[in-house]
Amino acid sequence: MIQVRQLTKRYRTTRAVDGLSFEVEPGYVAGFLGPNGAGKSTTMRAILGLDRPTSGEALVDGRRYADIRRPMHHVGALLDAGAVHGGRSAYDHLRVLARSNGIKDARVVATLEQVGLAGVASRRVGSLSLGMKQRLGVAAALLGDPGVLLFDEPVNGLDPEGIRWIRHLMRDLAREGRTVLVSSHLMSEMALTADRVIVIGRGKLILEASMRDLQEKFKKDVLVRSPSPDALLAVLGAAGATARSEDGALSVQGLDAPGIADLASHHRIPIHELTPRSASLEDAYLELTEESVEYRTKETVR
Amino acid sequence: MTDVLNSELLKLRSVRSTTYVLLAIAASLLAGALISYLMTADWDTSPPDLRQKFGAADPGVMVVPFGQFCLGVLGALAITSEYGSGMIRTALVSVPRRKAYLLAKTLVVAGVSLVVALVTSFLAYQAGELITGDRPRPISAYDSLGDAVPTLSANTASLVLLALVGLGLGFLLRSTAGALVTLCGLLFVLPALTLLLPHPWNDRAYSVMLPTLAPQLSGELPDAPLSPLGAGLVMLAYLVLALGAGATALLRRDA
Repeated sequence: MIQVRQLTKRYRTTRAVDGLSFEVEPGYVAGFLGPNGAGKSTTMRAILGLDRPTSGEALVDGRRYADIRRPMHHVGALLDAGAVHGGRSAYDHLRVLARSNGIKDARVVATLEQVGLAGVASRRVGSLSLGMKQRLGVAAALLGDPGVLLFDEPVNGLDPEGIRWIRHLMRDLAREGRTVLVSSHLMSEMALTADRVIVIGRGKLILEASMRDLQEKFKKDVLVRSPSPDALLAVLGAAGATARSEDGALSVQGLDAPGIADLASHHRIPIHELTPRSASLEDAYLELTEESVEYRTKETVR
Repeated sequence: MTDVLNSELLKLRSVRSTTYVLLAIAASLLAGALISYLMTADWDTSPPDLRQKFGAADPGVMVVPFGQFCLGVLGALAITSEYGSGMIRTALVSVPRRKAYLLAKTLVVAGVSLVVALVTSFLAYQAGELITGDRPRPISAYDSLGDAVPTLSANTASLVLLALVGLGLGFLLRSTAGALVTLCGLLFVLPALTLLLPHPWNDRAYSVMLPTLAPQLSGELPDAPLSPLGAGLVMLAYLVLALGAGATALLRRDA
């Protein structure tokens, strides 16, 4: 379980994270979303004790990370796959980390096999591809068989097969009852992986919701096609729904599809088409974070 | 704590830079022995009045300053390589107790450099004795091993000190280039600059420079400005200053 309470981190003049609070519980994959510079990495670094919060706190299983003895048994983290000494072999790199937490070399071998790096264990880390380094980072996170996992942009640099692998891995880890927090700036990726999303922008919480609620919230309208649109328009207006014509059909808001169908059948108005339309998650995400995008091109094409 | 020590020792063993530093020290031993051999050969062919003016054919004279720099590099690299690559973040996530992390690194660098320093000092002494054989002073540096013990211990202490000063600078500056430039400044540039000061400040400043402390600590230097105790205290001050500054940087600043 991860608890972030009123977390604020200021670097000189900029507030990277500003009074952020959220919780992640075991058993599901939590997506941590936000545009570049929204404060995702800073929040993760604060959870892991790398950055000292200006105010507020971040707790893992109710404790400050820095107070945990042998933390790799409780928390596994993949922050930056490139943050490794390139001169060590993959095996030695993991052994160094394992030893610091009293983990046996046999576990290192098993983890290398689990992430599919057994064949390159003796190669120097510097000679590995970005995707292999990403897998090595995942191996480091899994070494202590932790109950809480944090992944910062884990799909970066992975090929499609690798992306699929990490997606399954995260879902499996959550299904085993672990707490999984994954950051990304891509809604499309999170739509496939996450069960809940935490959306932040400019260091502030914008939304915390289940994927299903998010889809529900951004359900846009119902497209209705009828041979007698004027009659339908009249009864819809009387029922309190708003409608406007669109390509010879009606775009209806304020009444769901079954409601429209019942209403039409009651007034004996034939209906030819009835399509509930929701905004894509991508659109929903862009709409949510529009105000807080830090770096953008002058004219945004939407 | 044992876990962290184990991990740090493996870290030092599993990178090539450690091997290179040790090879460089071994090469300086060979070079020092070669110079001693050439000096001794020259001594053998010189007339008696000239022989008195010879310095000691002690490889240590060359090996110690070079070894000080090499171990300084070893100490600095032990941490700057982590800042340079970003490994420090991975490392501090696995060992978030920074005091334990600093202590483990300090102990491992101190332990490894102590072994290297002892072996190097003794090999330099042994090589010198083999080369000069039963020739008298001054071409032979020492009459016996017992005679050499103060110098060898002082040299060993200064070698370990440099490794830890390098480590402290590494923690403070977080950059390999920065730490090595500072190390060069302290070992080679600053001592030369102190000699430009007006008398008596030139002698006073020169006496507390890192390269001059070992001979004063051994008590073998005639007319030394510092007593062995004084030299020891100055060395301790260097140690506390470098590691203290490094520790403050590690504990206070974000990683």
